[in-house]
Amino acid sequence: MSAPTVPEKVPATAEKAGFVVALAALPRNMWDSLFRNPLPDSDLGASRTSFTNFFLHIHPVKVHRNSIRPLYTLGLGVMSFVTFVILTVTGVLLMFYYVPSTTQAYDRMLDLRGSVAFGTVLRNLHRWSAHAMVAIVFLHMCRVFLTGSYKRPREFNWIVGCILLLLTLFASFTGYLLPWDQLAFWAITVGTSIAAYAPVIGKKIQFLLLGDQAVGQEALLRFYVLHVVVLPMLITLMVAIHFWRIRKDGGLSRPAEADGMPDGKPLRVEIVPNSSKGGTFGLMGFVRGPFTKVGNVPDNTVYAWPNLFVAELFVFVVTVAVLLVVSLLFNAPLEEPVNVLHPPNPAKAPWYFLGLQELVSYSAFWGGVGIPGAEVLLLMLVPYIDRKVSGVGKWFSRERFLANTLFVTFALLNVIFIIIGTFFRGPNWSFVSPF
Amino acid sequence: MREQERMSEKNSPATAGNSRRSILTWFSGAALAGSAAISALANFIFMKPRATYGQPSRYSIGRPDDFPSGTRVSLDQRRVCVVREGSKLAVISTICTHLGCTVGVSDTGFACPCHGSRYDQDGNVVGGPAPKSLAWYQISLAPNGELEVDTNAQVEQGTYYNL
Repeated sequence: MSAPTVPEKVPATAEKAGFVVALAALPRNMWDSLFRNPLPDSDLGASRTSFTNFFLHIHPVKVHRNSIRPLYTLGLGVMSFVTFVILTVTGVLLMFYYVPSTTQAYDRMLDLRGSVAFGTVLRNLHRWSAHAMVAIVFLHMCRVFLTGSYKRPREFNWIVGCILLLLTLFASFTGYLLPWDQLAFWAITVGTSIAAYAPVIGKKIQFLLLGDQAVGQEALLRFYVLHVVVLPMLITLMVAIHFWRIRKDGGLSRPAEADGMPDGKPLRVEIVPNSSKGGTFGLMGFVRGPFTKVGNVPDNTVYAWPNLFVAELFVFVVTVAVLLVVSLLFNAPLEEPVNVLHPPNPAKAPWYFLGLQELVSYSAFWGGVGIPGAEVLLLMLVPYIDRKVSGVGKWFSRERFLANTLFVTFALLNVIFIIIGTFFRGPNWSFVSPF
Repeated sequence: MREQERMSEKNSPATAGNSRRSILTWFSGAALAGSAAISALANFIFMKPRATYGQPSRYSIGRPDDFPSGTRVSLDQRRVCVVREGSKLAVISTICTHLGCTVGVSDTGFACPCHGSRYDQDGNVVGGPAPKSLAWYQISLAPNGELEVDTNAQVEQGTYYNL
């Protein structure tokens, strides 16, 4: 009878409640303060959950129906991000056992195989995810191009994407010196020599990258710092901008008719200042159609929770599962330790640079600097050259036949050079038949 | 006229504030831009090592007697090939001029395993993507009787050192 009774529906931490009661309710109260909303069972709950959670807040409460069409995006953007997350996690774990020293690095590779728990599978996961990231980022770029998604207002996000592709390639380039095996040493020797062919500043870039005249301890240390700190930070920053921009540019691209008025014309119109009133805007000038949208125009949006989040979770789980299976089945290659005196014959870079190496075998300047530089420049300028806004939001749109054909031709050429470099080149880079 | 004067008078505190703010903006902006430029330059200087830990550019390769006439031997550690014909001596780089692989030495010349560049005995390009011939380095006889190679000093091809 002496214990005070707590009235129902009042939080146990109400002012008058005693210490014991607060203690008893502590787990529950902590839980409730951590997750301020229960799992949503209504539309209101769904929007609250998205809105009040730090992680879920990355998406708007409602997204366009078109954004979650699996066959439109193929989940490639999320997949690229997932590989980056895997690489960050496995990379940090590998750092606990790695020493960037020419005398120790290779032994540490052997230790990963021999004495570190899960060392082999961690290294495999890191290596195969790096390969996967390069491939998926490239495919993501193909998706964006072939659906015309780089067009206004998404021009700058396309450039951010191009920078991310370059950063991805540079991250993998710096990464494969670290095992300090034969492939590492000679691939970096060749790769940094390509940089030296850049006009005027080439030799200086090479010297800055290597910290010496040739690949050695300084280069290993520099590549390590670039690989584990500088590039991941830059990628994280660019990814953040990339994601932010998606929202600010109105979500993923979609065909104009997807969010149109019943008459099929787009809802959004150009904002033109009313010049007769000296650059003032009338509120009604911003939008077409009825002032109140809800109930008056077709609503093509769905709640991000659960529609979008579950789709992304699915892509995450599948990507991790596939890479894990591959890592359990196949071991990452590790060649002989570095022998400065004897390059392997042929000395081949990883597959994604073999197209470049094939080009370089014709002309170091044109193959290594001229053509790739022009390709990158052209790629970044695409949204500013191709200004027509028709055909956005559809795969292989007829209106974009020329642009798509040119892009596919370039992409295929790169793939063909990679295939030639991978399968048709033998000792002394002479032509061999793999059959 | 009077209307305008009255307006400017009314706005004068705001105008003074604006000009002060714009001076502050310009000053801070210039300071920030200047600092950014200086730190970019400082970073560049910092990243460029003053001393390197790799191979020295001048080194001894031994006495002339170590290389009898007809010698054509590759010093793998130094990445050079020593050639001697009678009293004529030459040190030819074995760093491929294409992309820096070490070329293999054979009786007929040099061959690169990386991208298939081929050179003749004097280091002239005879095939593959190499843009120029292999470098010939300057040789001198040190007071202690040993041959000294300077990889910073290249000599014209065919310039032998006469013993």
